[in-house]
Amino acid sequence: MIDAHASVVDASEAFLQAKEKALIQTAQKGDRQAYHALYEMHVKRVYALCYRLTSDQALAEDATQEVFIQLWRKLGNFDGKSRFTTWLHSVTANVTVSYMRKQRGWFQRMFNIEESVAEFELAESSSAEVDLESYIVRLPERARMVFVLHAIEGYRHEEIADMLNIALGTSKSQFHRAKQLMKEWMGYGDE
Amino acid sequence: MVMNKFEQELQQKLDSLSREKQPQRDLWKGIELSLETNTTERAASGFQTKHLAMAATVVLVATLSWFTLKPMRPETQQNLTGQSLVQALSNQHQQQMNALLVKFEGQPAMTQNWKQQLQELDSAASAIKAALEEDPNNTALLKMLQNVYQQQMMLVERVHAPKWQKI
Repeated sequence: MIDAHASVVDASEAFLQAKEKALIQTAQKGDRQAYHALYEMHVKRVYALCYRLTSDQALAEDATQEVFIQLWRKLGNFDGKSRFTTWLHSVTANVTVSYMRKQRGWFQRMFNIEESVAEFELAESSSAEVDLESYIVRLPERARMVFVLHAIEGYRHEEIADMLNIALGTSKSQFHRAKQLMKEWMGYGDE
Repeated sequence: MVMNKFEQELQQKLDSLSREKQPQRDLWKGIELSLETNTTERAASGFQTKHLAMAATVVLVATLSWFTLKPMRPETQQNLTGQSLVQALSNQHQQQMNALLVKFEGQPAMTQNWKQQLQELDSAASAIKAALEEDPNNTALLKMLQNVYQQQMMLVERVHAPKWQKI
């Protein structure tokens, strides 16, 4: 028996992919309108990743702009061998990490005060009812970035270590730290 | 391996996490403006002159940074705490701001009241520094001061660099 609903979903997905492919090809030739349409298709996903990496609305908005500015220049490098969304997420993660480094770098190199901030906030607002988004935002920066890239975006620790310029073991330990903090915040602290 | 209850709940939350989020402002206009500016800059007839001017600015900023940052080095290499940390933070920020202002000198600003906004942030920084005099090792206050300084630098960059313009 033919599943009518599944067929409609497949057709809709195929239509979107064909539309996306056409837009990419047109934008690669320098068509700004096609690029705007691509932006509209993907801005919410890009912003979601930027927001989770930065945990700061203004920084995430700026990083999203930077992603689309750089993407315009890099679009010619996209050869269509992988899915566009996979490539876009990779560009987004790299540009955002580099942007954060540029914005915050010198402060944190000089004064390593970031790590203790979440501990203050933790005591004030522990609750099992809070959603995952709120937990992610509350994580210390490095643990948050590793958690987002590994648990949500599916990158391997080796790739994350390269991206963040940290040791492989550091990526793993920061992921463990993120999970331990979440475990505590979700009320599993005594297990 | 059987997942424990926490792992299960975390996995459920990850599965149901929305992959999309709506930005609160229209970001396209700033992007479009930046793309437009880059195209125009590339096509400008005074291409060589512009590059010479940029090179001169870079040399000027580098020279200024060299002279202004030099006295800071021995101090920043030490493990700073308390008031010396606040002082080092403020000095470093002032030098960064001076370099930025030199860099953008003569360029038109996108908003009229950016200097007023800068002063308001200055007042905020002064209030935080006053609180830090009472409690020099308060990490939350240091973080606030850092944020205010960061906002000041972003403000100067945004009003002078079109790609960061909020429309």
